[in-house]
Amino acid sequence: MNQRMIGASQARLNITWDGQNGDLPDSVPFDASDAEIKAWASEALRGGGVPGVTAARRADLQDFVIDRFPATDEMPYNRLFVRPKTPFGIQCG
Amino acid sequence: MAEAPRKVVLVGVGALGSHVLLFGRNWPVRFTVIDFDRVEQKNVMAQFHSKMGVGRNKASAMQQALQGLYGLRIEAVPHRLVEDNVQTLLSGADLVLDCVDNAPTRDLIQQHVRAHDIPCLHGAIAADGSYARVMWDPQFTADDGSKGVATCEDGEHLPFIALVSGRMAMTAQTWLQTGRQRSCHLHPGGIVEI
Repeated sequence: MNQRMIGASQARLNITWDGQNGDLPDSVPFDASDAEIKAWASEALRGGGVPGVTAARRADLQDFVIDRFPATDEMPYNRLFVRPKTPFGIQCG
Repeated sequence: MAEAPRKVVLVGVGALGSHVLLFGRNWPVRFTVIDFDRVEQKNVMAQFHSKMGVGRNKASAMQQALQGLYGLRIEAVPHRLVEDNVQTLLSGADLVLDCVDNAPTRDLIQQHVRAHDIPCLHGAIAADGSYARVMWDPQFTADDGSKGVATCEDGEHLPFIALVSGRMAMTAQTWLQTGRQRSCHLHPGGIVEI
Protein backbone atom coordinates (compact mmCIF):
# COMPACT_ATOMS: atom_id res chain seq x y z
CA MET A 1 0.00 0.00 0.00
CA ASN A 2 1.39 3.39 -1.00
CA GLN A 3 1.56 5.49 2.17
CA ARG A 4 0.56 8.57 0.15
CA MET A 5 -2.78 6.90 -0.46
CA ILE A 6 -3.55 6.72 3.26
CA GLY A 7 -5.72 9.71 4.14
CA ALA A 8 -5.50 11.60 7.43
CA SER A 9 -8.51 9.76 8.83
CA GLN A 10 -7.32 6.38 7.55
CA ALA A 11 -4.69 3.96 8.85
CA ARG A 12 -2.49 1.09 7.74
CA LEU A 13 -3.63 -2.09 9.49
CA ASN A 14 -0.86 -4.53 10.43
CA ILE A 15 -1.84 -8.02 11.58
CA THR A 16 0.22 -10.58 13.49
CA TRP A 17 -1.11 -14.13 13.46
CA ASP A 18 0.57 -17.42 14.31
CA GLY A 19 4.07 -15.99 14.12
CA GLN A 20 3.43 -14.33 10.76
CA ASN A 21 2.85 -10.69 9.99
CA GLY A 22 1.48 -8.52 7.19
CA ASP A 23 -0.44 -5.37 6.26
CA LEU A 24 -4.01 -5.35 5.03
CA PRO A 25 -3.87 -4.20 1.37
CA ASP A 26 -6.48 -1.47 1.96
CA SER A 27 -6.44 1.28 4.55
CA VAL A 28 -9.11 1.36 7.27
CA PRO A 29 -10.64 4.20 9.31
CA PHE A 30 -8.29 5.11 12.17
CA ASP A 31 -11.21 5.69 14.54
CA ALA A 32 -12.86 2.30 13.91
CA SER A 33 -13.77 0.38 17.05
CA ASP A 34 -11.66 -2.51 18.31
CA ALA A 35 -14.50 -4.88 17.47
CA GLU A 36 -14.71 -3.60 13.88
CA ILE A 37 -10.96 -3.87 13.40
CA LYS A 38 -10.88 -7.41 14.78
CA ALA A 39 -13.78 -8.40 12.52
CA TRP A 40 -12.07 -7.01 9.40
CA ALA A 41 -8.77 -8.60 10.34
CA SER A 42 -10.42 -11.97 11.06
CA GLU A 43 -12.18 -11.98 7.71
CA ALA A 44 -8.97 -11.10 5.92
CA LEU A 45 -7.05 -13.87 7.70
CA ARG A 46 -9.72 -16.47 7.00
CA GLY A 47 -9.83 -15.53 3.33
CA GLY A 48 -6.07 -15.40 2.89
CA GLY A 49 -6.21 -11.67 2.30
CA VAL A 50 -3.19 -10.63 4.34
CA PRO A 51 0.01 -10.74 2.28
CA GLY A 52 2.68 -12.64 4.17
CA VAL A 53 0.23 -14.53 6.36
CA THR A 54 -1.01 -18.02 5.48
CA ALA A 55 -4.82 -18.25 5.25
CA ALA A 56 -6.26 -19.32 8.60
CA ARG A 57 -9.86 -20.55 8.38
CA ARG A 58 -10.20 -20.64 12.17
CA ALA A 59 -8.56 -17.30 12.91
CA ASP A 60 -9.95 -15.96 16.19
CA LEU A 61 -8.77 -12.55 17.38
CA GLN A 62 -11.05 -12.25 20.44
CA ASP A 63 -8.13 -12.24 22.89
CA PHE A 64 -5.92 -10.01 20.71
CA VAL A 65 -5.06 -6.36 21.32
CA ILE A 66 -5.36 -3.29 19.07
CA ASP A 67 -2.53 -0.75 19.28
CA ARG A 68 -3.11 2.68 17.73
CA PHE A 69 -0.26 4.93 16.65
CA PRO A 70 -1.07 8.33 15.14
CA ALA A 71 1.07 9.71 12.32
CA THR A 72 4.41 11.27 13.29
CA ASP A 73 7.15 13.11 11.44
CA GLU A 74 8.99 9.81 10.93
CA MET A 75 5.86 7.77 10.10
CA PRO A 76 3.55 10.18 8.23
CA TYR A 77 0.44 8.01 8.38
CA ASN A 78 -1.68 6.43 11.10
CA ARG A 79 -1.06 2.80 11.99
CA LEU A 80 -3.14 0.13 13.67
CA PHE A 81 -1.66 -3.12 14.94
CA VAL A 82 -3.63 -6.28 15.72
CA ARG A 83 -1.41 -8.41 17.90
CA PRO A 84 -1.41 -11.21 20.49
CA LYS A 85 -1.04 -10.37 24.16
CA THR A 86 2.47 -10.58 25.57
CA PRO A 87 2.40 -12.21 29.00
CA PHE A 88 5.45 -14.47 28.59
CA GLY A 89 6.48 -15.78 31.99
CA ILE A 90 3.07 -15.56 33.64
CA GLN A 91 1.75 -18.88 34.91
CA CYS A 92 -1.70 -18.47 33.43
CA GLY A 93 -2.44 -21.89 32.00
CA MET B 1 36.67 15.50 35.26
CA ALA B 2 35.15 12.47 33.55
CA GLU B 3 31.39 12.05 33.71
CA ALA B 4 30.07 9.36 36.03
CA PRO B 5 28.77 6.29 34.17
CA ARG B 6 25.04 6.36 33.60
CA LYS B 7 22.85 4.18 35.77
CA VAL B 8 20.76 1.51 34.04
CA VAL B 9 18.14 -0.25 36.16
CA LEU B 10 16.94 -3.58 34.79
CA VAL B 11 13.78 -4.96 36.38
CA GLY B 12 13.21 -8.69 35.96
CA VAL B 13 16.04 -11.10 35.09
CA GLY B 14 14.05 -14.00 33.69
CA ALA B 15 14.05 -15.18 30.08
CA LEU B 16 14.25 -11.70 28.58
CA GLY B 17 16.11 -9.67 31.21
CA SER B 18 18.87 -12.19 31.86
CA HIS B 19 19.79 -12.22 28.16
CA VAL B 20 19.51 -8.43 27.80
CA LEU B 21 22.05 -8.16 30.61
CA LEU B 22 24.28 -10.68 28.88
CA PHE B 23 24.20 -8.70 25.63
CA GLY B 24 24.71 -5.39 27.42
CA ARG B 25 27.65 -6.50 29.52
CA ASN B 26 30.13 -4.24 27.72
CA TRP B 27 28.13 -1.02 28.12
CA PRO B 28 29.94 1.75 30.02
CA VAL B 29 27.17 1.99 32.63
CA ARG B 30 26.38 1.07 36.21
CA PHE B 31 23.85 -1.77 36.24
CA THR B 32 21.30 -2.31 38.99
CA VAL B 33 19.27 -5.51 38.64
CA ILE B 34 16.01 -6.06 40.51
CA ASP B 35 14.25 -9.41 40.90
CA PHE B 36 12.61 -11.09 43.90
CA ASP B 37 12.26 -14.52 42.27
CA ARG B 38 14.49 -17.54 42.67
CA VAL B 39 16.14 -19.67 40.01
CA GLU B 40 14.31 -22.95 39.45
CA GLN B 41 15.57 -25.99 37.61
CA LYS B 42 13.14 -25.36 34.74
CA ASN B 43 14.51 -21.83 34.27
CA VAL B 44 17.92 -22.92 33.08
CA MET B 45 16.56 -24.03 29.69
CA ALA B 46 15.17 -20.62 28.72
CA GLN B 47 17.01 -18.11 30.90
CA PHE B 48 20.66 -17.11 31.32
CA HIS B 49 20.82 -18.89 34.65
CA SER B 50 22.84 -22.02 35.31
CA LYS B 51 22.45 -25.07 37.53
CA MET B 52 24.89 -23.40 39.92
CA GLY B 53 22.27 -20.71 40.51
CA VAL B 54 19.31 -23.01 41.21
CA GLY B 55 17.71 -22.09 44.51
CA ARG B 56 19.35 -18.65 44.64
CA ASN B 57 17.72 -15.29 44.11
CA LYS B 58 17.82 -14.44 40.38
CA ALA B 59 19.36 -10.98 40.83
CA SER B 60 22.07 -12.35 43.13
CA ALA B 61 22.69 -15.32 40.84
CA MET B 62 23.18 -12.94 37.87
CA GLN B 63 25.52 -10.81 39.93
CA GLN B 64 27.68 -13.82 40.74
CA ALA B 65 27.58 -15.20 37.20
CA LEU B 66 28.60 -11.92 35.54
CA GLN B 67 31.36 -11.37 38.08
CA GLY B 68 32.68 -14.89 37.60
CA LEU B 69 32.40 -15.07 33.82
CA TYR B 70 33.30 -11.52 32.81
CA GLY B 71 34.55 -9.67 35.88
CA LEU B 72 31.51 -7.40 35.59
CA ARG B 73 30.25 -5.87 38.82
CA ILE B 74 26.55 -5.08 39.07
CA GLU B 75 24.29 -4.12 41.95
CA ALA B 76 21.74 -6.82 42.78
CA VAL B 77 18.45 -6.03 44.52
CA PRO B 78 16.74 -9.27 45.64
CA HIS B 79 13.36 -7.69 46.26
CA ARG B 80 10.00 -7.38 44.53
CA LEU B 81 9.41 -3.91 43.07
CA VAL B 82 6.36 -2.54 44.90
CA GLU B 83 4.75 0.80 45.58
CA ASP B 84 6.62 1.18 48.87
CA ASN B 85 10.10 0.83 47.36
CA VAL B 86 9.78 1.98 43.74
CA GLN B 87 10.93 5.49 44.60
CA THR B 88 14.09 4.16 46.26
CA LEU B 89 14.90 1.37 43.81
CA LEU B 90 14.47 3.40 40.61
CA SER B 91 16.03 6.53 42.10
CA GLY B 92 18.80 8.07 40.02
CA ALA B 93 18.17 5.84 37.01
CA ASP B 94 19.15 7.27 33.62
CA LEU B 95 17.44 4.36 31.87
CA VAL B 96 14.98 1.72 33.05
CA LEU B 97 14.68 -1.62 31.24
CA ASP B 98 11.34 -3.31 31.93
CA CYS B 99 11.66 -7.07 31.51
CA VAL B 100 8.99 -8.18 33.98
CA ASP B 101 6.18 -10.66 33.33
CA ASN B 102 3.15 -8.99 34.90
CA ALA B 103 0.98 -5.95 34.26
CA PRO B 104 0.84 -4.56 37.83
CA THR B 105 4.65 -4.22 38.02
CA ARG B 106 4.77 -2.75 34.52
CA ASP B 107 2.12 -0.21 35.56
CA LEU B 108 4.16 0.69 38.63
CA ILE B 109 7.29 1.19 36.51
CA GLN B 110 5.37 3.31 34.01
CA GLN B 111 3.90 5.54 36.70
CA HIS B 112 7.34 6.19 38.14
CA VAL B 113 9.24 6.82 34.89
CA ARG B 114 6.50 9.13 33.63
CA ALA B 115 6.41 11.10 36.87
CA HIS B 116 10.20 11.52 36.84
CA ASP B 117 10.74 11.78 33.07
CA ILE B 118 13.06 8.74 32.95
CA PRO B 119 13.52 6.96 29.61
CA CYS B 120 12.12 3.43 29.81
CA LEU B 121 12.35 0.58 27.32
CA HIS B 122 9.81 -2.24 27.68
CA GLY B 123 10.21 -5.80 26.43
CA ALA B 124 7.34 -8.30 26.24
CA ILE B 125 6.86 -11.69 24.57
CA ALA B 126 3.69 -13.66 23.74
CA ALA B 127 3.31 -16.82 25.82
CA ASP B 128 3.58 -19.07 22.76
CA GLY B 129 6.74 -17.39 21.51
CA SER B 130 5.07 -16.20 18.30
CA TYR B 131 5.40 -12.46 18.80
CA ALA B 132 7.16 -9.81 20.91
CA ARG B 133 7.37 -6.07 21.49
CA VAL B 134 10.37 -3.85 22.22
CA MET B 135 8.87 -0.44 22.86
CA TRP B 136 9.78 2.83 24.49
CA ASP B 137 7.48 4.43 26.95
CA PRO B 138 4.88 5.89 26.55
CA GLN B 139 3.96 3.85 23.43
CA PHE B 140 3.86 0.64 25.45
CA THR B 141 0.70 -0.66 27.10
CA ALA B 142 0.85 -3.57 29.53
CA ASP B 143 -1.20 -6.70 28.81
CA ASP B 144 -2.89 -9.02 31.23
CA GLY B 145 -2.60 -12.78 30.76
CA SER B 146 -4.06 -14.64 27.81
CA LYS B 147 -6.71 -17.14 28.84
CA GLY B 148 -5.61 -20.75 28.61
CA VAL B 149 -2.14 -19.94 27.32
CA ALA B 150 0.72 -21.14 29.48
CA THR B 151 4.30 -20.05 28.98
CA CYS B 152 6.50 -22.76 27.54
CA GLU B 153 9.50 -23.17 29.85
CA ASP B 154 11.38 -26.02 28.20
CA GLY B 155 13.57 -23.78 26.10
CA GLU B 156 11.64 -24.34 22.86
CA HIS B 157 11.52 -20.58 22.27
CA LEU B 158 15.10 -19.84 23.26
CA PRO B 159 16.21 -18.71 19.77
CA PHE B 160 13.28 -16.25 19.63
CA ILE B 161 14.03 -15.06 23.16
CA ALA B 162 17.62 -14.45 22.03
CA LEU B 163 16.34 -12.48 19.03
CA VAL B 164 14.08 -10.31 21.17
CA SER B 165 16.61 -9.73 23.95
CA GLY B 166 19.29 -8.97 21.38
CA ARG B 167 17.01 -6.42 19.75
CA MET B 168 16.18 -4.92 23.14
CA ALA B 169 19.88 -4.64 24.02
CA MET B 170 20.65 -3.10 20.63
CA THR B 171 17.79 -0.60 21.01
CA ALA B 172 19.02 0.44 24.46
CA GLN B 173 22.61 0.63 23.23
CA THR B 174 21.55 2.89 20.34
CA TRP B 175 19.84 5.17 22.83
CA LEU B 176 22.92 5.23 25.05
CA GLN B 177 25.07 6.18 22.07
CA THR B 178 22.79 8.52 20.13
CA GLY B 179 19.66 9.29 22.14
CA ARG B 180 17.48 7.81 19.37
CA GLN B 181 14.41 5.85 20.41
CA ARG B 182 13.04 3.28 17.97
CA SER B 183 10.37 0.75 18.91
CA CYS B 184 9.44 -2.41 17.06
CA HIS B 185 7.32 -5.53 16.92
CA LEU B 186 9.05 -8.87 16.37
CA HIS B 187 7.87 -12.24 15.15
CA PRO B 188 9.90 -15.28 14.14
CA GLY B 189 9.83 -14.13 10.51
CA GLY B 190 11.00 -10.57 10.96
CA ILE B 191 10.82 -7.16 12.58
CA VAL B 192 8.30 -4.34 12.06
CA GLU B 193 9.52 -0.87 13.04
CA ILE B 194 6.98 1.23 14.89
